[in-house]
Amino acid sequence: MEEPEWHSPATVEEATALKARLGDGATVVAGGTFTGILVANGLIRPQAFIHLARVAGLIGIAVGDELRLGAMVTHRKVEMSRDIRESPWARVAECFAQVASPRIRNQATVGGVLCDADYASDPPTLLVALGARVRLKSPSGEREVLVADFIKDHYETALRADELLVEVVVPKPPRQVTYLKFRSRSSEDRPCVGVAVAADLDDGGRCRSLRVVVGAVSGRPQEFPDACAVAVGQRMSVDVATEIGRRYSELASTLSDVRGSASYRSRVIAVLVRRSLEPLAA
Amino acid sequence: MKIPVRVNQNAVELEARTDETLLSALRRADFRSVRLTCGIGVCGACTVLIDGEPISSCLVLAPAASGADITTTEGFDDDDPVASAFQEFSAFQCGYCTPGFVLTTRALLSENPQPTDDEIRHALAGNLCRCGSYVKIAAAVRLAAESMRS
Amino acid sequence: MEGMLHARILRSPHAHAKVVSINTAGVPRDVVTLTRDDVADLEPLYGPMVKDQPVVAGDRVLHVGDAVAAVAARTPREAEEALELIEVEYEELPGVFDPVEATSDSAPLLHEGLEIPAEYRPDGRNVCHRFRLKSGLGKDGFAGADVVIEESFEIAGAAHNPMEPHATLAYWEEGRLHLITGTQTPFNTRRDMAALFRIPEETIRVVVAPMGGSFGAKTFMRLEPITAALARKARRPVRAVLTRGEEFITVNRHPAQFRIRLGANRDGTFVAKSVDAWWDTGAYADCGPSVCTKGGYAAIGPYRIPNVTVDSRCVYTNLPPAGAFRGYAATQGVWASERMTDLMADRLGIDPLELRLKNLLRDGDRFATGEVMHDVRFADCLRNAAEAVEWGAESRNKGLAVMLKGMQTPSRTGVALEIDAGGHVVLRSATTDMGQRPEIAQRNLAAHALGLSPDLITVGPNDTDLVPFDTRTTSSRSTFMMSNAIRAAAHDLRRKIAERFEVAPEDLVMSDEGVGVTGSPDLSRPFADLAGVRGEGTFVTPGGLDPDTGQGIASSHWHQAAASAEVSVDAETGVTTITRLHTAVYAGNVVDQAGAELQNEGSTIFGIGSALYEGIVFEGGQVTNGNLSDYEIPSMLDVPDFTYELLEGGEHSHGLGEMAVPVVPAAIGNAVAAAGFPVRNLPMSAESVLGAPHHPASPPGRRKRRPTSPQVGR
Repeated sequence: MEEPEWHSPATVEEATALKARLGDGATVVAGGTFTGILVANGLIRPQAFIHLARVAGLIGIAVGDELRLGAMVTHRKVEMSRDIRESPWARVAECFAQVASPRIRNQATVGGVLCDADYASDPPTLLVALGARVRLKSPSGEREVLVADFIKDHYETALRADELLVEVVVPKPPRQVTYLKFRSRSSEDRPCVGVAVAADLDDGGRCRSLRVVVGAVSGRPQEFPDACAVAVGQRMSVDVATEIGRRYSELASTLSDVRGSASYRSRVIAVLVRRSLEPLAA
Repeated sequence: MKIPVRVNQNAVELEARTDETLLSALRRADFRSVRLTCGIGVCGACTVLIDGEPISSCLVLAPAASGADITTTEGFDDDDPVASAFQEFSAFQCGYCTPGFVLTTRALLSENPQPTDDEIRHALAGNLCRCGSYVKIAAAVRLAAESMRS
Repeated sequence: MEGMLHARILRSPHAHAKVVSINTAGVPRDVVTLTRDDVADLEPLYGPMVKDQPVVAGDRVLHVGDAVAAVAARTPREAEEALELIEVEYEELPGVFDPVEATSDSAPLLHEGLEIPAEYRPDGRNVCHRFRLKSGLGKDGFAGADVVIEESFEIAGAAHNPMEPHATLAYWEEGRLHLITGTQTPFNTRRDMAALFRIPEETIRVVVAPMGGSFGAKTFMRLEPITAALARKARRPVRAVLTRGEEFITVNRHPAQFRIRLGANRDGTFVAKSVDAWWDTGAYADCGPSVCTKGGYAAIGPYRIPNVTVDSRCVYTNLPPAGAFRGYAATQGVWASERMTDLMADRLGIDPLELRLKNLLRDGDRFATGEVMHDVRFADCLRNAAEAVEWGAESRNKGLAVMLKGMQTPSRTGVALEIDAGGHVVLRSATTDMGQRPEIAQRNLAAHALGLSPDLITVGPNDTDLVPFDTRTTSSRSTFMMSNAIRAAAHDLRRKIAERFEVAPEDLVMSDEGVGVTGSPDLSRPFADLAGVRGEGTFVTPGGLDPDTGQGIASSHWHQAAASAEVSVDAETGVTTITRLHTAVYAGNVVDQAGAELQNEGSTIFGIGSALYEGIVFEGGQVTNGNLSDYEIPSMLDVPDFTYELLEGGEHSHGLGEMAVPVVPAAIGNAVAAAGFPVRNLPMSAESVLGAPHHPASPPGRRKRRPTSPQVGR
């Protein structure tokens, strides 16, 4: 069988033009961890590859009013970035550091993990909790979409056929941000449940705002603002944390996989959400 | 497709299809220390260093490696401190996973010459050894770190 | 090799189906195909114990992944593409995926009219072998027990996952078949291939490549029949290498179910035990009958029990075949047995250590098979393990396990020691290298037996044309068997050298410089002068068990080991953390210290995998977790700091390749149960631990034990 064409565009414009022209027949290769698995194991047979490594302007990390990460920034670069680690976005670096192994992190990209939209991932959960956005470019223009809206389901995003994800933008986070990766098996495992918390506490320890996002339990990260509302205006306590955990357990839809059944996930969501919120009570 | 790379500091032209992995291309070019086990990047048997950083060569499409500076254990000297430490501790059984561990160790020690036991475990957790040589591997890494410091 | 082709196998997507038609017309002409027509002149079926497996499917496929056809092409990619051009028409049939269900009258029958050799007992529907044992009064013995408890246990199948997959190269040359293959069983392979191809054994040459791990997977016939058949048709060398996904549907560890009844007196003395076991051997028996027997008696445990009944069934189902797997049935049997021992300890209110010590076999005791035990160290192993976790002190969350495991019996090992032109002593042995580096032990043993430095000993290639017969490298038998065979070969070599010198062997002096005669310095010769002199030694262990009564010699030599564990269970998530782990194995005379340590460390880590993570998940006969992300083996971070003791002593060298594997999960399971989660099944996933009925009524920590008189030491 004929081997696929290999395209290595130098600009975003070239890349999106190629995407538009080749349509479904082309597979975009960012870091390549996901496409590598698909191709090597015969799961896809594209007619062409569009390799993004040479595209200019996609590898920047900028810490300012917002955190801006180029789509081709690797997980490892985020993990090791001093600028990010010493900034209010430190938890973002820590979250990316928890993904898979150093080898995968050396290769996998920020844009890639979002475009893959694999449900059993860590970064999307935290990025949703922080209100992150993706910047998408096409030959006809540019738009921004919240990560929460960009990821529609497992392996399904809002990316249009002629679009390229070029940047991830993370607004300034509140003071209390955590990401908890719960593994039910080996320490090398993907998350069974991921819980991201972004809370703004006033000087008296009362919650001005609270976002809790649960990921890796179904097709996309889930959030229930109504359940969190009970905490707003008061100090976090074990009782409030337990109540929010209980509500998330009831409300979150869960799936079954090798890491746990749907009912197991529902059960431990209550525990993990509570444990993520308890430190705010201190 | 012809893909120019440097392997162990020598210019090499890999011959590969565009949908072929770097692992496959390297093995056909006789770099047999790089091995296929899981095929999905989780076991580390296919580890190579690209610009000094460990990468799963089974996940890299060969053309994407164009111009890369690749290291495999074929390029190690006989008295290489990491390889010697592994020999000293018999830190292997069947030896299939060993090149991956050795390369990962070299990368770890370049970045962190005095790793704690915890840091060693975290750095090597992505390399699987079914024979279960982990105890001696960890000892070998500590020895290599010591001998590289002196 | 020049002209070599690459093979790929077309596999059934169905667990049970009729093969209505196969059409290879669409395959390119330069690709060689293999279907049932191409092997019609061979024996229809092969198998190491029961001949039940075709080279490629005849009129039926019996498991998902069953070989239907095969191709050989210039490149692996072309072979892969050719597979897609073969059209197969199937008619699906109902399948059965549980060994208990498979014995029911309504279950589909997998092998109709199969010829089963006389030594096995095909007693029951889909049962290819049934091992029974009765000692004393059998089940009538329960009447004499104060307390009788009964429980069921289930152990999932597991995948060996050697880092290197199965790989075989076959070529025919001048009327001989050459197999360059990763195998633990060169002589079995040679014998079975000869029978299959209807050619004399001597026409087949098996050359064993060092393996990147095996753990039982690369035993008996795997890729050899298909590659040899393709090579025959292609008239070219053919090489086959399995993908990781194929590793999960080729041969696995037997899923097993147990129902155990144990009767004891109030003072803790075991009175009666009955073991009912069902081993899921999958679509083809492989060595299932032997697994079924060994697992049956391993589940009795190393205990003095006057009335024992075992009914162990090896059952066909439409799952992929199950075969030899590190731990060889002991992992399953010991799990069931040692969990049961703790349940009895619980019931009687007796400390689990005391209960075991009270009942452990001692020198001179008879095991349930009737054989008299000697060189017994069970209690030493157990005490060592208990001490390592400070059992006597705070004992919450701690567990113990002790086991006996048999070794392949009967068996035979031959070794030759030959002097070559360079003055080296070449050791010829069929022991295969799968990571345990047998050549180090071999060289040390030969050196010791001859009084020479190991540097003078080299190990020759593992080629059936060059090495004497050895049963196989399995069941941790090699060091034990080899040490005896090498001693015999060394003795024979000395005798033959003495003959050359025309002196008595006692008058010979051997050193690294050469051979001399006591009192006659002028008669000294360097080894090179003795090139060609060859000593041979054979060691045979007779034995075997009557399949109906279970009496006889189960094992010429018993593997003895114990383990202890301490765990911390997250009661809200079920996640188990091992905080302490120790194994005590009776190693005997250690001849390769580093190797012994590596083997025991490796076995311990294997055991951790079986305990917490490893289980193949089947759905309708499909493997749903057939990759190393969904099926997890332990990583460095999963292994806690653990300790172990290799108990030395005695004159024998005991195999260490598997010892820790069965006792580790059992000890961890007993610890998890002591923590309040009475688990019954392996693996102990977080979810299953959480599901084990927690006993909120019992206070954390061990229940109060009634004191018993301590076991009087021997």
